[in-house]
Amino acid sequence: MRKLYYWLDDRTGALGALKAFREARVPGRACPCRAMPFLLVFAFLAQGITGLFMLMYYSPGAQSAWESVHHLQYDVTGGWILRAAHHYGGQAFLVLAGLYLVGMVLRGAYRAPREFVFWTAVLLVLVSLGSLLTGDLLAWDQNSQSSTLVRTKFLALLPGVGAGLFKLAAGGPDFGHLTLTRFLALHTIVMAGALAVLLALRAWFARRAAAMVQDEVRFFRPFWPTQFLINVGVCVLFLVVIGALVASHGVAGPERGVELGAPADATDFYAAARPEWAFMGLYGFSNLFPGELKLLPIFVIPGIVVVLLFLMPFIARLGVLGHALNVLVLLGLLAADAGLSWMVVVEDRANEHQQAALAEGRRDAERARELIALRGGIPVEGALTLLQEDPKAQGPKLFRQHCASCHAFVGGTDEDIPASEVSSPNLFGYGTRAWIAGWLDPDKIKSDDRFGKTAFRNGKMAQFVKDTFSDLEKEDEEERDLMVAALSAEAALPAQADLDKKDSERIAEGRDLLADCTDCHKYRKGGSLGTAPELTGYGSRDWTLAILANPAHPRFYGDRNDRMPIYAPTADDAKNVLSRRELELLTDWLRGQWVEP
Amino acid sequence: MKKPPQCACCGNKPAVGRGPYRRGFLSKLLALALGALALAVPAVVGLISALNPLRVKGQGGRFFRVTSLDALPEDGTPRRFPIIADRKDAWTLFPNQPIGSVFLRRTGPSEVKALAVICPHAGCFIDFDAKAGGFLCPCHMAHFDLDGKRTDEQSQSPRDMDPLEEVEIRDKRDVYVKFQRFQTGTPQRIVEA
Repeated sequence: MRKLYYWLDDRTGALGALKAFREARVPGRACPCRAMPFLLVFAFLAQGITGLFMLMYYSPGAQSAWESVHHLQYDVTGGWILRAAHHYGGQAFLVLAGLYLVGMVLRGAYRAPREFVFWTAVLLVLVSLGSLLTGDLLAWDQNSQSSTLVRTKFLALLPGVGAGLFKLAAGGPDFGHLTLTRFLALHTIVMAGALAVLLALRAWFARRAAAMVQDEVRFFRPFWPTQFLINVGVCVLFLVVIGALVASHGVAGPERGVELGAPADATDFYAAARPEWAFMGLYGFSNLFPGELKLLPIFVIPGIVVVLLFLMPFIARLGVLGHALNVLVLLGLLAADAGLSWMVVVEDRANEHQQAALAEGRRDAERARELIALRGGIPVEGALTLLQEDPKAQGPKLFRQHCASCHAFVGGTDEDIPASEVSSPNLFGYGTRAWIAGWLDPDKIKSDDRFGKTAFRNGKMAQFVKDTFSDLEKEDEEERDLMVAALSAEAALPAQADLDKKDSERIAEGRDLLADCTDCHKYRKGGSLGTAPELTGYGSRDWTLAILANPAHPRFYGDRNDRMPIYAPTADDAKNVLSRRELELLTDWLRGQWVEP
Repeated sequence: MKKPPQCACCGNKPAVGRGPYRRGFLSKLLALALGALALAVPAVVGLISALNPLRVKGQGGRFFRVTSLDALPEDGTPRRFPIIADRKDAWTLFPNQPIGSVFLRRTGPSEVKALAVICPHAGCFIDFDAKAGGFLCPCHMAHFDLDGKRTDEQSQSPRDMDPLEEVEIRDKRDVYVKFQRFQTGTPQRIVEA
């Protein structure tokens, strides 16, 4: 046994190292205040471990990155914990490195002979910022893609080399597959490797510095086991904090862990994009400068700050004043960062555009989740196509872009879209009985919600409704309701299917009454086209598609069409304003025709 | 007498009793240079491929049909339209995808002005803000008027919105725009390669 012991020690030196560890000493009493370097190493190792397991689930690629993160977040047992632990762990590492740096300056522990220890601490903060920046993109959701794109675009500020640097970082002229592969390599190998080297160097430099001051310290206590125990205790406390953060959005439900936004669209930009909190101060700072001088807040001034940090040990040589100056500068920087970050948060809270864009982003994220669950998986083209093909997600966007300059979509719900200047009917509840009833109501037909702002305000229809439906007797009112039910049934709305079925007899009666409308409208076998919109299939999918494509068709308003654009006059998408697919999305959204869980 | 140990492969004997070992300057130089060169080989091989993105060009400089004239409101309200073309992302070819967007605005019966959607500051997409009657970049809150001129007292953008100068109306109805992208961040307007 003894022989084996000596052989092992002789060949590997392991026992000697163990002995050195046991005999290592710390100056003064064992204390939690000395736990920080140990904690930094622990936090780094924890990131390495969670990162490794995340890497086993990750697939860089514009059609697979978000999808693989979604899989980890929602399908893999404990995947959300893993992701959240790595997310918060990374930010906590930055905080720890920052605290270590600040603590060193406050205690004066950055002065000779600990200059190199201090410099590695500065580098630790910088590299962990880089690690956050590269890691953030990998989720490839709307915010991570767009905010990283902006930050990377800032490279273009660098005169001469900027445009090239951007291409190198992005892997091409645009963000895409190669941006993800590059950032993954940077995040998992370069940044993590640099942190490992810096932590090792820090320990090495600290050891040398400690050896130099050994004579000045009165008494030493052994590191093992008391200080070690304290250090481990601090690490456990750290884990408790991370655990609390991981559970901060609950432990059940889709919101748990870290939010995963809607999949990124490389051809669009997320209007609510904002940097992570760590860069928020810099964001606020750069906004103080005019566009022509952005090089200053993004590169020059932060560069000067870093140089200043590096010079601190030398400034401290000027004596007490130098040290005081360093402390003041550092605390001032921190206060400015916090103040600027807070300013951004306050401004964004009051910013309508920002809040609306955020809400839309959240809706898209939730819808993407729903669609994937409904479909039972993600198609090979990626999750984005699910959203792009979904009427519920695209309808409001298309409506805002092409319809909302004239039409409102307002019914007192969260999804209301006001018109920029109402000049045509409100389309909320399109085809429903309530909506149809508005047309046959003398009080409503001339309101802004119907014909009020159109050329038909004083037209034949408005006159007819006024003459026919004013001051109705009870039974006439009943007749009107039958007509409304019958006309609304023409739309065959999915949400009204049960109601239409239940009322089939009343609808049949209503249809007979609608025969009175054939003086102007074509309805079923009666009437003819060319004087007013056809009522057969009124509001149905086919009818709606056709009127959106060409309202000036004789089937609808003919040459009396009032300002409604002709979106698809030909059968060729390339020659039309809106493609067939876009018209279908709008139609299905207006009619409430989409899949729901 | 015991045979002195010798190297199994080259037969060299350890130098014993030959006086101090001499380290020539040339050997030192050669050793360092060779060592550096050896490390540089894999680095250069990697760098050559890593620098490839510098040679990849964007899809600017061509005319694209954007929309038809009817789609532009006569009151001069701008609308955003995608530029549809085949988009290539590294190895994936996406047929008929938006490769960018432009704002179009009617300035006469058959006269159209085009502005790039991308903000000259940091590459966000600018929105048309109907309420304010101008453009707004949501990332850093830069405001522009309908001609794309900056309207903030101190603008976040280093220059006005980028106009796409070449707009053609073909067959009296199809709007064609020569699509270009510009470098962000610079006060001067530099066309992206």
